[in-house]
Amino acid sequence: MSETTGPKMVTLTIEGRTAVVPEGTSLIEAAKTVGVLIPHYCYHPGLPVAGVCRMCLVDVEKFPKLAPACATTVMEGQVVHVHSEKAREARTGVLEFLLINHPLDCPVCDQSGECELQDYTFQEGRAESRYEEPKRFNPVEDFGGDVLYVPNRCILCTRCVRFMGDVAHDPVLNVSERGDRAFIGKADGHDLTNVWAGNVVDLCPVGALLSKDFLNKARAWELDRSASICTGCSQGCNITVETRDNTVVRLKPRPNEAVNQYFMCEHGRLDYRWINRRDRLDQPQVRRADGALRVADWEEALDAAADTLRGRRVHVLASANASNEALFLAERLMAASGGRGWFRIARGAEAPLPGVPDLSLRAERAANATGARLLGFEELTGTPAIAPADAVLVLDDTLDGELPAGLVEALVRGATLVHAGTTLPAAIAGRASVVLPLTNHTEEEGTFTNLRGRVQRFLQSRTAPGLARPSWFVLGDLAERLDASAGFALPAEVFGAMASAHAAFSGLAYERLGLRGLPVLDAEARGLTVTDAVSA
Amino acid sequence: MTIRVKVLDRPIEQVSYVRSTLSGLMTTLKHLVDPHKVTMQYPEEKWELSPRWRGTHRMLTTESGKAKCVACGLCPTVCPANCIKLVPGEDEEGNRYPLLFEIDEFRCIFCGYCQEVCPEEAIHLGRHYENAEFSREAFVYDLERLTAQTHPVSDLWDPADPKSE
Repeated sequence: MSETTGPKMVTLTIEGRTAVVPEGTSLIEAAKTVGVLIPHYCYHPGLPVAGVCRMCLVDVEKFPKLAPACATTVMEGQVVHVHSEKAREARTGVLEFLLINHPLDCPVCDQSGECELQDYTFQEGRAESRYEEPKRFNPVEDFGGDVLYVPNRCILCTRCVRFMGDVAHDPVLNVSERGDRAFIGKADGHDLTNVWAGNVVDLCPVGALLSKDFLNKARAWELDRSASICTGCSQGCNITVETRDNTVVRLKPRPNEAVNQYFMCEHGRLDYRWINRRDRLDQPQVRRADGALRVADWEEALDAAADTLRGRRVHVLASANASNEALFLAERLMAASGGRGWFRIARGAEAPLPGVPDLSLRAERAANATGARLLGFEELTGTPAIAPADAVLVLDDTLDGELPAGLVEALVRGATLVHAGTTLPAAIAGRASVVLPLTNHTEEEGTFTNLRGRVQRFLQSRTAPGLARPSWFVLGDLAERLDASAGFALPAEVFGAMASAHAAFSGLAYERLGLRGLPVLDAEARGLTVTDAVSA
Repeated sequence: MTIRVKVLDRPIEQVSYVRSTLSGLMTTLKHLVDPHKVTMQYPEEKWELSPRWRGTHRMLTTESGKAKCVACGLCPTVCPANCIKLVPGEDEEGNRYPLLFEIDEFRCIFCGYCQEVCPEEAIHLGRHYENAEFSREAFVYDLERLTAQTHPVSDLWDPADPKSE
């Protein structure tokens, strides 16, 4: 066996636990590996180390004085005490200083419940302040974009300054004034309009930087959180969907080193209102003899949909936000009958985050265009070739509510239309023979394939409206009626069938994807990996 | 065969009702002139309630008449009966305030946790017990109703003896 070429490992003891970490790791990261959280404010794994908050002071044996854990690298045989008398006393002192000018407005502060100042003060701060002078006061400032700055609450950790300067390469923020007058200033004539600026709200450990969108909407402890994938573009940023009373109130980035690190853009962050829309399709409908769409039960609607598609070539107009599972089942329908599959996609300007390799708001503004391409769908350009004897299955394609030109003509000349979707655009309502209500991606589970061929799972975070059913479930039932194949009971089963049917997905298993995803087979050969550096 | 009933021939002073009727009337007469009273003449007279009495809620207001509540969300969180419904919002001056604040007094168990947890000393239990309504819906008190109440509020505990020792 050849010698390992990895970095040299260092062994040290933290709070009596033995940590083995690569050389050059900071104490704060080494402590995380053995389950010890060293309190900190200015340190963030996605930002350069500043060492300004002095909160992460720890007691290292044989060091003359306390060391900041974020700026001290590990050394062989080091013995670190995080909760020794000396270290705790130092941190209690730091907290007392931080609270000198911090207002006691937790009841009205949006950060309350997820505030690190609250947590650590509760954990190891003084019960009462000894400060008797009046507190410093600065008025609230609108930073532009989605960000509001409340200087009174600011503890000057400079995470926001470092993010804008070193990660976004748009140094709009700075520390203005010095001493107790210091506050976070904004460069004259500039606003936080950078498409990545919203991350400073997540980075802020206290309630100094707030999202205007989320302001006063909910308390942190009322929210239900579930892991999901952003559908804003084909980057596939890992996110947490936060809901309150079955309504999505905010989206937050979820760390994934391989995709988005700790960040997400404003486009994805604020693009959640459509998820909560109230005009959802919630009952199956079938066109009756009198020519009107009427509510039907699922069995009847699925039978009618199968009758509409049976014996015809089935073409599929799919949404590029449909899951791999739904697209796979739709592809089976069209492949069995010799039909074709298309998707339409919205495009916008690309906006990279310079400080993170291969992270960008992508031009293709849909989550699963790559998955659709791998499964044999093509982007619709021009007029789709649909014969009058064909059938069309629209799979949640709601792009601008209009059907492509050629499709409408084909429908007029005798082609049939089955609509399976989350909403019912007027252009489709007048022509569909059967309408099947589907859940959107927050109401079902499944996988998306991002532009680098990474297959990532998203989980359910809300309940479905009315009788709507998950897309893979509906399409599985439809396939069962058309070709007498067995239906599916779980998305994992659909994924299994997809992995055995499509070479690109072979070797992947739903359970093994975890919540960070795995790349598809031969992503490089399929031209999905980075060929040139995206970072500027 | 006929049943024979033995009839005792008792003296008249043992079987007459006159004596016991008179003794009953004597009791009535005694209470008529005795000043000692047990019955409280409700509703003309009312009980004096303990300062720690926990009755239906009342929301205190600022000098300008607005509810003191800042919609921090602690009372619905601490409420063991889940009877408080709160939706936070923002007023014209940008202050946080309750867009919707409702207490279902039927679900409430009058534990007083909401009063104890309130950082603004806004929501209070009342020293008050006359709650009759004509419909069930009327027992869901909204913010308007809670601020309009005028009855005294509970102390929850005696300041001189906070641990009830």
